[in-house]
Amino acid sequence: MIKNYFKIAFRTLLNHKAFSFINIIGLAIGMTAFFLIFLYIKFELSYDSFHSKADRIYRVVSDIKTPTETINANCPSWAVASHAKQEFPEIESFVRVSNARLLVRKGNIKFQEENSLFADSSFFQVFDFKLLKGNPQTALKEKFSIILSQTAAKKYFGDTNPVGQTLSLTDRNLNAVVTGLMQDIPENSQIKADVLLSMPTLTNEFNKGLDDQWGNYGNRTYLLLRPGTEPKVLEAKFPAFLERRNGKEMKQSQMYPTLFLEPLREVYLYSTRDGSKTGNITNVYIFIIVAVFILLIACFNFVNLTTARSAERAKEVGIRKVVGAARLQLAKQFIGESIIICLIAFAVSILFSSLLLPLFNQLSGKVISRHIFSHLLYPFLLFLIAISIGILAGIYPALILSSFQPIVVLKGRFTTGTKGLLMRKGLVIIQFTVSIALIISTIIVYNQMNYMRSQDLGFNKDHKLIIDTDGDSSKSAFKQAITSLAGVTSTAMAGSVPGGGNAGAYSQIENVKGDMQVANLDLYFVDFDYIPQYKLKILAGRAFSRDFQTDTSQAMIVNEAAMKMFGYTLPKQIIGKKFDQWGRKGVIVGVVKDFHFRSLQEVIKPLSIRIEPNFCNLVSININSKNIPSTIAAIENKWKELMPNRPFSYYFLDDFFDKQYRSEDRFGRLFLNFAVFAIFISCLGLLGLASYSTTQRTKEIGIRKVMGASVPNILNLLSKEFLKLVTLAFFVAAPIAWYFMHKWLQNFAYHTTINWWVFVAAGFCALAIALATISFQAIKAALANPVKSLRTE
Amino acid sequence: MIKITELEKIYRTEDIETSALNKLSIEVKEGEFVAVMGPSGCGKSTLLNILGLLDDPDGGSFMFNGIEVAHFNERKRADLRKRNIGFVFQSFNLIDELTVFENVELPLIYLGVDSAERKKRVEVVLDKMQIMHRRNHFPQQLSGGQQQRVAVARAVVNNPKLILADEPTGNLDSSNGNEVMQLLTELNEQGTTIVMVTHSEHDARYSHRIIRMLDGQTVTENLLV
Repeated sequence: MIKNYFKIAFRTLLNHKAFSFINIIGLAIGMTAFFLIFLYIKFELSYDSFHSKADRIYRVVSDIKTPTETINANCPSWAVASHAKQEFPEIESFVRVSNARLLVRKGNIKFQEENSLFADSSFFQVFDFKLLKGNPQTALKEKFSIILSQTAAKKYFGDTNPVGQTLSLTDRNLNAVVTGLMQDIPENSQIKADVLLSMPTLTNEFNKGLDDQWGNYGNRTYLLLRPGTEPKVLEAKFPAFLERRNGKEMKQSQMYPTLFLEPLREVYLYSTRDGSKTGNITNVYIFIIVAVFILLIACFNFVNLTTARSAERAKEVGIRKVVGAARLQLAKQFIGESIIICLIAFAVSILFSSLLLPLFNQLSGKVISRHIFSHLLYPFLLFLIAISIGILAGIYPALILSSFQPIVVLKGRFTTGTKGLLMRKGLVIIQFTVSIALIISTIIVYNQMNYMRSQDLGFNKDHKLIIDTDGDSSKSAFKQAITSLAGVTSTAMAGSVPGGGNAGAYSQIENVKGDMQVANLDLYFVDFDYIPQYKLKILAGRAFSRDFQTDTSQAMIVNEAAMKMFGYTLPKQIIGKKFDQWGRKGVIVGVVKDFHFRSLQEVIKPLSIRIEPNFCNLVSININSKNIPSTIAAIENKWKELMPNRPFSYYFLDDFFDKQYRSEDRFGRLFLNFAVFAIFISCLGLLGLASYSTTQRTKEIGIRKVMGASVPNILNLLSKEFLKLVTLAFFVAAPIAWYFMHKWLQNFAYHTTINWWVFVAAGFCALAIALATISFQAIKAALANPVKSLRTE
Repeated sequence: MIKITELEKIYRTEDIETSALNKLSIEVKEGEFVAVMGPSGCGKSTLLNILGLLDDPDGGSFMFNGIEVAHFNERKRADLRKRNIGFVFQSFNLIDELTVFENVELPLIYLGVDSAERKKRVEVVLDKMQIMHRRNHFPQQLSGGQQQRVAVARAVVNNPKLILADEPTGNLDSSNGNEVMQLLTELNEQGTTIVMVTHSEHDARYSHRIIRMLDGQTVTENLLV
């Protein structure tokens, strides 16, 4: 029996090649899109879950309340971890990590290790990062102990064992001993490092007393709780703990932190405390919806095409019933056929997926999977999904087909019912609703990208080369030396450039009422040339000037946001007001117009700007657009002359600023691709339906032509019904897309408005594609000789 | 074998009710060859469908081998049908995707006969119908006469007690038609009961008895043998 089913299934597929192709390719594309999105989502959800103790590890974060605002920090102060460990037996262990930019050197090999961390010795006990060589208990215990990842070790030592060897940390003027070799940290970890330096190096050497500093932030703290500990209960004990240990200082500084525990596995997707660098659960949800819809569209095609073809299978059903088939047997046969088609589609989709995976990795900007078979479970799941689709999508056609009355179908009195037709129309509407919604969304995502790129940022970012001197003692000499180079139009130095990080400082500023108001202000350290070079607009007061000696120690410039924060309505009102920041006291000498020093996703925050040569490590160089390579070569020569120990590297500010939109860019591109997938599958379905519809109406078309209908009349007749469906779909899709994209745009502090033309464009686009799809069949039918088509009856 | 009494069948559309069978009573004995004749729309095909358990009556009684089957559900009807009744249609009704052999094999599959036994029985019947050499061909590759022989082979492969033939020669030329009628006669001689609906007086003469129908009722019954 089964053999018979297989036989008939394969022969039916072969006899109706176009139909089989449309069905299988449609399903395969749907499955491929679903599978790739599934891999992506799985990857996004897998962050940090590879740690065996992940369910007991929590990140400590804090909300710091000042009289002006509440700062959502991604860390507690340095002292919290060790003090909490002493006080709470629930805490089994803790790890602190802190960013360290290291210039590492071995003989002539030197690298600026951007990805380096100071880490507590418990790093390998709390986390499951694998130490290939060295003792995980002790490797980070002593000062000047360094652990390298495999990639880092290869750079310095090739294939020889690095453990026991020495590396020089040039800018710190010391040597560190390699005490371990660790496996490269997996991509799906929010902690990333190529080099680990033991925490005592920082707390006992570079910054003594850090362990007891309650007002100093800048480390990420992870707690490993004992089994059975309720994090909420522990969290509730923190306020009293802080009060006991740090109450006095809190009152003095008027900064009141509250500590929270974030489950490690949720940090990447759910925490909003790390800026835009981390994952985004909303995007994950959006992709889940897109994946499910694409798969549904493909399934609808399948159901539609199969039921549309039911007239052709009716005779077979009749015969089988006459010779003794029970309804259930027939239903099983048709579901079986549907499963076979789905399994063929599965095989094709596996092929498609493995071909597209490298492209998809590139598109998503991370290696979500090296190979589709890296986790055998996933293709197996797709296999199960294929079978489920076969069963689910097969049930409706099977029920329809197996319900045919043999006498009706064998006597040729069979017509497909209006119920089936309505259902097919309904499914086409849903398919196009999804496709049009995706087109609208894609246009809006791209609009937003354009908006962010074309927005006036309030500063000049063109032809600006940035070089990090990392605090080298020759940095000022370097700046001097390159200023006179041909091709260099201006130079400036600063601690931060737009798009990068900057310090946040505990500050007190005289507010409109005359009180010294406490606030945490973003802080830019600059030199005298920075404001003119970046073309920041002075609204009141003046820019820093070498003419005022006190500018290096007693002057501050704020932006409009800061001015408003302290209650002033006009820029000139804040000029001359007092400030007290990190021990520096003085007056505000100027107000700059707000400029976007972070991405347009964020509101422009209150910013203070001060002259502080010691912290100005970044050189901004405006260069002439002519002969850029030779200008850069000349700059490099000066660098080598003055800082021979440091590797030369640079970046352009516009690229650097743009990097902040990389994840949105990827999001947009992924969206575009899946919108194309969705519309392609929908059109395949439409093509199939149009072809069956014209076949069924062959006689009608023949009669109409005999009665005098022209080719355009027929074309109109055949296209109208499908175009009506697409139009209806548009009216369903437009408000849905508007709603979701309106919500999505709220992620951006500065966003485009949704224009009416977006909807018109998407609607026309869908209509044009649908019309092109249908026309092919319609023209063929309209041009057919009516004598021939009438004879077929 | 068949006894129907006061059988009724009414077709309803939105505004019209058509009585296809109007208190029809007929009896067919085992081993008989009966031809049913009458003008189009007289109800002969409806009768055949009810006899073949493809359709159910709206009233009256239908005894098949002494069992009342008029109100059997679809599953029971399918079961009774596959064990006892073979069909031959005017338009052959072979499955295009299956070969001659596979078409004939189909009823045996639904009867649950094992593959070796099926092969044996199909070969015997194909041999008898003289289409063994065409066993691996598809229906479209055969002439009308050959297709109808395959259909007859399929109808008899499970040795049914009753064969229902609905204008079996309607789509054939006279020589092929005669061949098919000859086949049916032979089957009848071997003990199979045959009820045949036909428009052809020529074909009807192969039967033992002709039932003539008009407006859902029997008009006359002529005994030929």
